[in-house]
Amino acid sequence: MAGNKRLMKELAENQSTPPPGCKISLENDDDILLWNVTMTAPSDSIYAGGNFKILIKIPKEYPFKPPVLNFKTKVYHPNVTNDENGSMCLGMLRPDEWKPPNKISDVLKLVRTVLAAPQPDDAVEQGIADQYKNNRKEFEKVAKDWVNKYAK
Amino acid sequence: MNHQPVATAPSYYHQHLYAPQLAHGHYHDPAYTSVGYRPLQLPTQQVQQQQYAEQQHQQQQLSLAAAGYHHHPAYQAQAQQHSQGQVLPVRTRQQARQQQQVMAYQEQTPEELAELQKLSNEYQPETIGPLVGQREPCTKIATEYATADPVYQAKTAALPQKYSHYRTVRGDGRCGWRAIAFGWIETLIHHGDTNRFYEEEARLRSMYNILEAAGWNALLYEDFADEAFDLLREVANGMHNDTAGDVLVAAFNDEMRQNYIITYVRMLAAAWMKTRPGEYAPFVLDKTVDQYCDDSILPMDSEIENVSLSALKDVLLSPAGMALEVLYLDRTEGGEVNMHRFDPVNPRDGVAIGTIRLLYRPGHYDILYKAEDLPYVVEPITYLNFGSQPHQEHVFAINPGMDYMMNMPGASLINPHQHWLSYSSYDSGVSDFFTAPNPQQHCIQTTPNPAPVPTPAPVVASQQQIQPINIYMPQAEPQLMPPPLELSQELAIRSLPQPPTITSGYQQQLTGPFRPSAWQFEEGLAQAASQRPFQTSIFKNSPWNTAHFRNPDFQPEEWRPDDEYVVITKPLRHKTSG
Repeated sequence: MAGNKRLMKELAENQSTPPPGCKISLENDDDILLWNVTMTAPSDSIYAGGNFKILIKIPKEYPFKPPVLNFKTKVYHPNVTNDENGSMCLGMLRPDEWKPPNKISDVLKLVRTVLAAPQPDDAVEQGIADQYKNNRKEFEKVAKDWVNKYAK
Repeated sequence: MNHQPVATAPSYYHQHLYAPQLAHGHYHDPAYTSVGYRPLQLPTQQVQQQQYAEQQHQQQQLSLAAAGYHHHPAYQAQAQQHSQGQVLPVRTRQQARQQQQVMAYQEQTPEELAELQKLSNEYQPETIGPLVGQREPCTKIATEYATADPVYQAKTAALPQKYSHYRTVRGDGRCGWRAIAFGWIETLIHHGDTNRFYEEEARLRSMYNILEAAGWNALLYEDFADEAFDLLREVANGMHNDTAGDVLVAAFNDEMRQNYIITYVRMLAAAWMKTRPGEYAPFVLDKTVDQYCDDSILPMDSEIENVSLSALKDVLLSPAGMALEVLYLDRTEGGEVNMHRFDPVNPRDGVAIGTIRLLYRPGHYDILYKAEDLPYVVEPITYLNFGSQPHQEHVFAINPGMDYMMNMPGASLINPHQHWLSYSSYDSGVSDFFTAPNPQQHCIQTTPNPAPVPTPAPVVASQQQIQPINIYMPQAEPQLMPPPLELSQELAIRSLPQPPTITSGYQQQLTGPFRPSAWQFEEGLAQAASQRPFQTSIFKNSPWNTAHFRNPDFQPEEWRPDDEYVVITKPLRHKTSG
């Protein structure tokens, strides 16, 4: 299938030259549609030192439908849902904004950027977003706690 | 509860219910005198006010005692109203009905309404139909709009005069892109030159640098481009066995394949714009060209817009020598669709190889065709329908006395040339039927004297019927007579493969209005011998004449030396002899 050809290429590329701070493997060796990513937070961010597991579910129709990202490691972040799904809502991953020329490595680069610099106006966790805007100190404290608790 | 003596119509029935003992006497009770006649006397407005007050009351009661609603007197009063419908004034029955309607509406909570509103906002009409449909006559669009408003009616009615066919494209946001990508390859098919497919592939491969310049690497665009090139090659192969059109339609109805190709043309258009920001910046005022491409060209379901349409035309169509026309079917003034031709058309070698025509209805594109765009006439011309029927006897079986010649313009059994007409109407059908070569072609190929002596259909059918011709022809005009030997040979050939059933079928046919009596026949031949078929003043310029380009057996008129000699040699002979 042509879609898989593209995925194979992307996987090979991502494994030989992974995007910065990312390690990519397949969740199951026989399923190319489920990627396992370990993302190291940028060292200058409040999440520094944290390693976050991200599961990428790639639809069969890829690249015509966007992949779905889930943080498997709990992270205190306005753009990541604070539940067992850990869904990250990125504009580029919305079905109506998804562009087939986007690559998964582009997505991962964006994820890492958003991780370092939360976008409170585009939040999925409004409470965390408000705290981020109004009480940055408290936010950073909790975020660092969570990194120590879950992401070490 | 409604115990206070308020003079409302329903209260009357409450009282009625609660005080049955008053039922006989209440017209005389001063407290009820007015009540009894009110419903008939009150102006409508007042009744409505009353009704509203009553509803308020009922609503309150409802909220107070929702569980016991069915025991509420108001409800029972209503029930009473229904059961006593016949004896109640008409207006009260209407009131009851209105009340129920209003109540049904009021019973919806704000949450429910919000939910409905949300559903309504999110509603998207289901996109149906094939991704790319089959080509259909434009008259269908006119039928579709036959009950629309007059502007649409006029415009769609005028459409088939200029544009013979159209093809639907599924309206899922990608229709414009799909229509152009499809039209691009289809125009190559109609152009008919297989090399052109490979030239297109080479041209597009040479444009990889533009895609690179737009920031994509080969890994990314190759998949999309290769799908397009694969299709080009498949269609080119299909050109040899006439399946190109089917291959193309099938490919574009494969969701995955057409997604690849659509993405490829999107990338082409975006790359073209991104590498020429100066050219396009004035058209995307509120954004940079890059932003425009990212927001309005590349996302999966973004519709084609005028700017992107223009860019796609510049990158894909113009260099391929194709023109682009968009015909707007909207409610603007005028009796025709408005045509916008995207200029400049700069075909590679000076001549456009074709035009892609899009029918634009607000928000949606379909593909339109002019008759001239199509490589061949798609529908058989109507008059061929008789001939193309494999079993002509059906025509007669249905209505043995039918004068179907009457259906043809200017033709009738009364016409003295009827034999030639009937011959023609049989011609294609019968000759196909008997797998015999077309008589006229035969004449041209075999007889030294090329004057076409069209053999009437009965000749083909049986030997006996040819006899009058052979006997008669020499008498009529020797010049037009085919050599008898030649003719009989051919007859032998023709009659050989003729199965008996066909003969019987034909005999049945002969029972129709064209039964050739021997006398009729000779008379007709006499007429015919002096004139070539359909060269009469009536038919000379009609498709019945083989010299007319629409005749299925089109044979351009030829210069015949013999025709000239008839005129010229005679005086000469006179001179020399005299």
